Amino acid sequence: MNNSELDSILKKARRPEPIEEFWEEFPKQVVRRLNRARVEEPRLNTRWVPRLAWGMAIVVCITAAFAIGHWRGRVDTESVASNDILQNTKFVRETLALFPNQVRAIVRDQHGFNLDLASTSDVPTSTPIYVSVCDGKNCSSCVTFSGQEVQVAGQKLTVLSDGLGGIILMGDHFIWSSNRRVAMGNSLKIEAKNLSSITL
Amino acid sequence: MARMALSDDELACIQKSLADDTEAFAAFVKQHQKMIHALAFRMTGSLHDAEDLAQETFIRAYRQLASFRGDSKFSTWLCQIAVNLSLNWRKRENRRGEIHSKWAENAVAENSVPEEFPDALSRRIQAALDRLPPKQRAAIVLTVYENCSHAEVAKLMQCAEATISWRVFAARQKLKRLLGGFHHE
Repeated sequence: MNNSELDSILKKARRPEPIEEFWEEFPKQVVRRLNRARVEEPRLNTRWVPRLAWGMAIVVCITAAFAIGHWRGRVDTESVASNDILQNTKFVRETLALFPNQVRAIVRDQHGFNLDLASTSDVPTSTPIYVSVCDGKNCSSCVTFSGQEVQVAGQKLTVLSDGLGGIILMGDHFIWSSNRRVAMGNSLKIEAKNLSSITL
Repeated sequence: MARMALSDDELACIQKSLADDTEAFAAFVKQHQKMIHALAFRMTGSLHDAEDLAQETFIRAYRQLASFRGDSKFSTWLCQIAVNLSLNWRKRENRRGEIHSKWAENAVAENSVPEEFPDALSRRIQAALDRLPPKQRAAIVLTVYENCSHAEVAKLMQCAEATISWRVFAARQKLKRLLGGFHHE
């Protein structure tokens, strides 16, 4: 059998024909379904579907980007705060080693690092103390030693360490103790701790 | 929107339909219903399913009318919707068939052309068409019954012309085997 013979056989096939009323009724059925669907749910203009989809996609992307950026920002801020270079053991040890018994404080503020050095090598050897002070958005930190007087975040502080590892900060108008974790007489945010892992 | 392949009447009808004039769309349905119904019947082998598919085709067409670019005939666009729906219908039917037992499958196969055909030849031809894979069946139905060229079918089924040629070739080989006896009768 060749192709044209096959085609002629296929074209001989007749379909069971619906009754004549079917063809009269069919368009009405379609219209009824369309009207019913229109009542049940307003017809979505398909011209807007691709635009709507693109719009939604863009909104989702922007939201996701914003969320990721915000999250990373938070992570970065937190990591900077928790990874203050003044808490970096190596950095502090090497700085102190450059000026033996001369460093009163290493201060970090919005302008950068300041090294407060004594004119003579008479600073007693002890465990370095890390102090961070925030007065509103003005934050500064320093590494110093017990008995030293430092200027941090605009506050003049005397740093003291007791025999049990507690730290006391004395300002002009307040006293802060690491044991109480509160500053009496002001609203500064203060953190202080011994950098005991640094052995001099 | 390029409405190059449309007559003025069709264009007016589309514009009215886009303005939610379902009666205008009914004129389209009336004009193309027999062609779409025939195509649906060849694809499903069932009058009942053909009616459902044809209805669904027009409903889909109405909802997607705004996306009709007019670079092909309206009838071609309707065929495209009908073929896509029928291919999905076949997939659904196949999935449904998979859960039947072997006995039930045989019973379905034997009764897959239950309609009152005008003659035995017509019944046997439809049974042979039903045994083709859906995409081959679509290719042969469109080329033989709708007189589409391979290029037109390729555009309609959104694949390469060579793919359609291969499907038509494979379908013909199978149909020749299935309908071989009739050639000598």
